[in-house]
Amino acid sequence: MQSKLSDIELIEQTLGGNQSAYADLVKRHQRFVFTLALRFAKSREDAEEIAQDCFIKAYRSLSSFQQQSKFSTWLYSIVYTTAMTFLRKRRLDTSSIDDDESYIQIENKPSGYDEYNVENKSRSYYINQAIEQLLPDDATIITMFYKGEQSLEEIAQAMGIEANTVKVKLFRARQRLKERLERNLKHEVNELI
Amino acid sequence: MNSIEEKLWNYIDGNCTPDEQKAIAVLIEQDEVYRKKYSELLQLNSEFAAIELDEPSMAFSYNVMETIRTEHAQQPLKAAVDKRIILGIAAFFVLTLSALVIYMFSSVNWSAGSGVQIPEQLNIQVPHVNTFFTGRVVKAFLFFDLVMGLFLLDHYLRRKTTAKEQ
Repeated sequence: MQSKLSDIELIEQTLGGNQSAYADLVKRHQRFVFTLALRFAKSREDAEEIAQDCFIKAYRSLSSFQQQSKFSTWLYSIVYTTAMTFLRKRRLDTSSIDDDESYIQIENKPSGYDEYNVENKSRSYYINQAIEQLLPDDATIITMFYKGEQSLEEIAQAMGIEANTVKVKLFRARQRLKERLERNLKHEVNELI
Repeated sequence: MNSIEEKLWNYIDGNCTPDEQKAIAVLIEQDEVYRKKYSELLQLNSEFAAIELDEPSMAFSYNVMETIRTEHAQQPLKAAVDKRIILGIAAFFVLTLSALVIYMFSSVNWSAGSGVQIPEQLNIQVPHVNTFFTGRVVKAFLFFDLVMGLFLLDHYLRRKTTAKEQ
């Protein structure tokens, strides 16, 4: 069962030497951090490695956390930097949205997938699939905005860019996601939207 | 100029000025194109908001905490010692020595030295240097050198190994 204490209270307890408080923080944020890492890594193993690395880095520099922003914003900035470093290291091929031939191979795809059983798949499955096919930056902005409870300013802080740039990027990312979704669903999208 | 879609996204996100918001609300009400687009984007917005987060493996948090615990255990003693303890010990010695020196100087009778003559019985004979270099002293000295040399070599090799591991 997860702690009901706030992030700041858990941080204070961790800094006071209570490691189980940090375990609570990890449990609270692990799903989101892992999902963000997955936007960059595209394989669960690499994403876990990135996410694990982020939590360890955050623990090491927890005393330098100024509490001027939300802990989640600070943590996501670590995730973004770590994931970017990972991308540079591994030199992963990222897919361009304009290139029809360059679909990213999605790992851990649910079994039984084929293009004819579209109706049986849930709408969220196709949205997740379309997000996975976006560029890491687009997928990250979409995920942070919709699932990270982050404002445009907070996303800008985490990504180290201007809030206005985030606004433009978010608009483009949503457009690309919509296009990708439409392509994936082909005729079914008209029926579902 | 902003496209219809961009305006509508700003409207949905609440990033418009009150005037813009009013203007867009009127357009949605009166313009069929706006209305259709708005309902499409609203639908997409709620679907994007409903995307599910992925779950890491069951052992994820355990692995993180294990790595942290291992790192904590490997921390060298030098780093684990509280600096305040070292400063406290230093302060104790500095104060003790200062007090001793002050007491020593305050108890000296500075005028007592004038006109004193050293009695002839106290004319001490300084031993010859060669007497110190007997076989036993040289052996002890060389043994001490050897131990110090081995200690420094060990220290150097340990540092080299640690640097390689990092």
